[in-house]
Amino acid sequence: MSDLEYPGDLRYTSDHEWVKDQGEGIVRVGVSAFAQDALGDVVYVSLPGVGDQVSAGDSCGEVESTKSVSDLYAPLQGEVTAINEQLDATPELVNSDPYGDGWMYELKVADAGALDGLLDVEAYKASLS
Amino acid sequence: MVPGPATVRCMTAEPKTSPLHDRHVALGAKLADFGGWQMPIEYPGGGVLREHTAVRERVGIFDVSHLGKALVRGSGAADFVNSCFTNDLRKVAPPKAQYTMCLDDETAGVVDDLIQYFTSEDEIFLVPNAANTAEVVRLLQAAAPEGIEITDQHTDYGIIAVQGPKAPEVVAALGLPIDLDYMSFRVAQWQGRDVIVLRSGYTGEKGFELVPRWDDAPALWDALVEAMAPYDGLPCGLGARDTLRTEMGYPLHGNDLTLDITPNMARAGWAVGRGKDAFWGKEALQRQKDAGGYRLTWGLLATGRGIPRSHCEVKDASGAVIGEVTSGTMSPTLKQGIALALLDRGVSEGDDVVIDVRGRELPATVVKPPFVKVETS
Repeated sequence: MSDLEYPGDLRYTSDHEWVKDQGEGIVRVGVSAFAQDALGDVVYVSLPGVGDQVSAGDSCGEVESTKSVSDLYAPLQGEVTAINEQLDATPELVNSDPYGDGWMYELKVADAGALDGLLDVEAYKASLS
Repeated sequence: MVPGPATVRCMTAEPKTSPLHDRHVALGAKLADFGGWQMPIEYPGGGVLREHTAVRERVGIFDVSHLGKALVRGSGAADFVNSCFTNDLRKVAPPKAQYTMCLDDETAGVVDDLIQYFTSEDEIFLVPNAANTAEVVRLLQAAAPEGIEITDQHTDYGIIAVQGPKAPEVVAALGLPIDLDYMSFRVAQWQGRDVIVLRSGYTGEKGFELVPRWDDAPALWDALVEAMAPYDGLPCGLGARDTLRTEMGYPLHGNDLTLDITPNMARAGWAVGRGKDAFWGKEALQRQKDAGGYRLTWGLLATGRGIPRSHCEVKDASGAVIGEVTSGTMSPTLKQGIALALLDRGVSEGDDVVIDVRGRELPATVVKPPFVKVETS
C-alpha cells in the first residue's frame, strides 16, 4: 500500500473520500487512492443528480468494481452542482486518476467552514495504518 | 465509501492456505476467503479486467489448489461412484475425466458439482468444490460397500490451471504432454515428479489443469510463470476466473447450483445419466420433471448501464417478479452486465425484462449463454 499517494492539499473522510476546496463555496469530491486500490477495477459509477440536496453522511451514489459495490457518502451538506459525466463511459478513470479525471461530483456547501472538520492528510494516512 | 465485503482484509478464524500462498503474498495479491481457503482474487499489475483479457487473448495461470481432492479405491470403485453421482461414467473410458454432480437423494438438489477422473475400474479420483469436499467424502464413505475406501486427499495435491490460446505452448515448454483430447488426462513426469495433466478448464478457452503433489506445486508454478513470460501471460486470481466462467454461462456451486436448484432447473441434463439404474436423487429428479413448472436457468444481457448481482429480483414488463439472478457480473469482453437467472416458465429468448439492482431498474434481454463466443474449449 506504500506506493499509494495522498495529496496534501485535500481533505479526507473516514469513508475514503477526498474533498477539494474549489473556492466560492464549491468543493469537489472523489475517492482516495486507498479506495480505488481496495475496490479493484471500477466498472460502474452511479452519481447523484445535479440539483440534489445532500446532508453529510447521506448515501448519494455507488461505485461498483468487478468484485464489489460500495456506497458513496456525501462528506458535507450542500447542493450538487456538477457531476463527472466522463465516468459513465470511462469509469476506469477512478482507478487511473482518482484525484484528477476520476473526480465524482461537486457540491455547493451550506457551511464552508465545515470543510475544516474533515481529516487532513496526516490524520487520514494515520487512519490507514 | 466503504470497500465491499470481498475486499475486507480481516481473516476468518484459521483460514486454510494453498501451497502457493507464499508466492501470492510475495506478488502482493489481494486475498479473500473461498470456501474456507484464503486465495488470491487478483494480483497487482493485473486486476480482474487485465487478467481476464490475458486469458481470452493470450494465457493465464490460476492457483485452484483450494479445490478438493479425494480418492475412491477398491474393487468396483468405478461402478460404486457411478451408482452415486449423476453422469454416466460408462460414456467414457480411462484415462478420461468427466463432469458430474452429487445430488441430495431426497430432493435432487445439488450437493456439489465435481470432476471424476476415471483412472481404472478400481480407482476414481475426485475434484469437488473446496467447501463441499468434506460432505461429498462423508456421503461416499457412508454408502461405500466393504472393500471400497474413500480418502480425503485435499492437501495431498495442488492444482494449477493454465488457460488461454497460448496454454498449449506454455505447458509444452515444461515438457508436459499437450496431445490430449478434451477431458483426457495423463500422469506425466516433470523434473522426475508425477503431475497429472488434464485437458480442461473453467474459462471457455483452451487449457489444462495440472495436478502436482502439494509440495511440488511452488516449483511448478515458478516454471509456468517463466514459461508464460514470452506470451505476456499473467497470474490470474479467482476474480477473473469468475468473470470468465460467467461469460461462458458455466454454473458456480453456491450460486447457480445449490441444494435448492436441481439439474432440471439448471439445464444440466447433459450431465445426468438417465439410463442408469441408479444414482442419488434419480427418483426425485424424475418426480420434479414429471410435475413440471419449475424455474429454468437463463442468461440475461443488460441493455442499460449497471451490473446485476446474485439475488437481484427479475421482473417482467408489468413489474411482476418472475425470477432471481443467481450470478451476475460485468462482462469484461462485452463491457455489459451479464447474469445467470432462474426464471418462471413462460419466459422465452429475446424477452425484455427488468433487473432490480438495489432499487434501480436495469433493463435486460433474456438470452441463451454463452455470452461470448470462444474459439475452442
